[in-house]
Amino acid sequence: MLIKPSINILVVENDITILQKCRELLVNEGHRVRTAESVEEALHIIQKHPGDVDIMLLSLELPGWGGLTLINVLQKARREILIMTMSANCGEEAIEAMHAGAYDCIRKSFTADRFWTKINRAIEAFRLRRQLGVLTRQRQAALTEVGHHENLSAILQSLTDGLVVTDWQTNIVLFNSKAASLFDLTREKALGHPISACIQSDELLSFFMRAIKSDSSLAPLMAGEEPIVKVGDKALRVHVDPVKNETDTAIGAVCMFHDVTSVSAMDKLRDDFLSMVSHELKAPLSSLLMQISVVLDGLAGELSAKQSDLLGKAKEKTKGMITLVNDILDYRRIQEGKSIQKIANLDLGEILKRTVELMRLSAEEKGIAMTCEIAEALPSFAGDRGGMEAVFVNLISNAIKYTPQGGNVNVTLNKAGKDIRFKVVDSGMGIPTEDTDRIFEKFYRIKTEQTRSISGSGLGLSIVKGVVDAHRGSIRAESEVGKGTTFFISLPVEK
Amino acid sequence: MKKVLVVDDDVDFCEATKLLLDSKGYDVVLAHDGKEGLEKMRGEGPDLVILDVMMPEMNGYDVCVVIKADPALKKTPVILLTAVDQNLFKTTYTQAMGLMTEADDYMAKPVEPQDLVKRVENWLNKD
Repeated sequence: MLIKPSINILVVENDITILQKCRELLVNEGHRVRTAESVEEALHIIQKHPGDVDIMLLSLELPGWGGLTLINVLQKARREILIMTMSANCGEEAIEAMHAGAYDCIRKSFTADRFWTKINRAIEAFRLRRQLGVLTRQRQAALTEVGHHENLSAILQSLTDGLVVTDWQTNIVLFNSKAASLFDLTREKALGHPISACIQSDELLSFFMRAIKSDSSLAPLMAGEEPIVKVGDKALRVHVDPVKNETDTAIGAVCMFHDVTSVSAMDKLRDDFLSMVSHELKAPLSSLLMQISVVLDGLAGELSAKQSDLLGKAKEKTKGMITLVNDILDYRRIQEGKSIQKIANLDLGEILKRTVELMRLSAEEKGIAMTCEIAEALPSFAGDRGGMEAVFVNLISNAIKYTPQGGNVNVTLNKAGKDIRFKVVDSGMGIPTEDTDRIFEKFYRIKTEQTRSISGSGLGLSIVKGVVDAHRGSIRAESEVGKGTTFFISLPVEK
Repeated sequence: MKKVLVVDDDVDFCEATKLLLDSKGYDVVLAHDGKEGLEKMRGEGPDLVILDVMMPEMNGYDVCVVIKADPALKKTPVILLTAVDQNLFKTTYTQAMGLMTEADDYMAKPVEPQDLVKRVENWLNKD
């Protein structure tokens, strides 16, 4: 026969007959019983023997301080005590007690059978609660102990990448020697301390928090290219994952750091090279275009019809070269638009306002009336500033580009439900229905008589879509040929 | 007659631009590097400066910072010209837009001659 460990029970009852009856039943089953005849006495016992009361049988008909008061006090201070109430008929007062935290109510006119049914259920509930408490503590302890396993520890130390593990409150529980040298960590400084105090990077902290919360918005960040975080003068490629136990609960986070400081120096070299090439190609083309235009306009002496014709063709070829150079350099932009670079809390209204101001002159030059409505008090948006700027610049400059003289461009930014909505309406040439599905594809350009004279690489909208997707937003276009086009973007504030 | 200072290390571009703006009735002064640009700025007192960004030694951003820090010069509008990135993308865009330099305007190279004329007219007809 299975012997269950005994339970410590405190009976609080001023009716001596009932008190004795309870004590007798409980003691006969091997439980330890204390008794009290008033709330004051009960509190005294609980304070004097903390941890020695598992279950309390509490009468709701005590004089003076009522049992309900005691329940409220205990719920605040000692939640681990399971409270069973007793009353004459288990009416309103019992329900109120259960709202306050009592487990159940027993009628005072109980039979032994009835008593044990209720008490055994309470004991079971108490054991389950205690089990849960133990599991919660184990959840914390399990991770702390990992580092003590010798073989495992040796493996971790020999990794060439830095490794840091935190518990579910982002306190460091484990790190290897590479991480120690990267961030100058020591056991005293780091173990048990929050990661934010040891490694100065808000970005990194946010990755850990989101991994622990198993936030799905981490997925696009971690998919494909892993983000590079700058800590001090080091560039680190990081990969953060939640540490999950067998029940799939996140009990912490693990992060690998790959030092890419030298690679990122190469990236910079590449960028420098590209802007050098860009300048070396565009500057002479710029001169060429200016020179041809000036001669063509007759500013350097009169031209014959034949000369104008030839020069006109030369000018078109020069413009073609310029477009080609821009397209080649646009490859870099696709790379940049592909993923979110850096998450920060953004005031989209402010960014949009600035963008519209910048574009206003080119709209005015084309004789296009541009209006901009930004709703007041928009919530801040967690996103990539460069990306969002690119979205605004591309959509507004497209609207201006494809709208004829005397047309309108209207920009609005507001909130609908949990989303921030951005809308650009133009009165331009419109997009044929068969093209609306394809406009977001790379290098796709609509080829009509009207668009021929407009230069572009066909990358702008694919970059916009890339950025919107990476922010878990959506974009769509509505258009009517000859009437105009509207682009709608919806960005979720909470991810 | 309104005076326009064009600062660019590309002599061919400068001369063609001078022809173009001369024909529109402007008095055009040329400078071929940043230092000469600042000298002409002080000596000639132009109404507008067209300033190339990529120049050897003192680049356009630096020249612009000096102009905007000088109480005697800072009211003169500056149009920055850059060939670095025509698509106003990311840092180049914010930088060139004058967050750092306080430039008044920005045009991407290669510039369409009519666009340049329009932009110049726009700035000089403001008063």
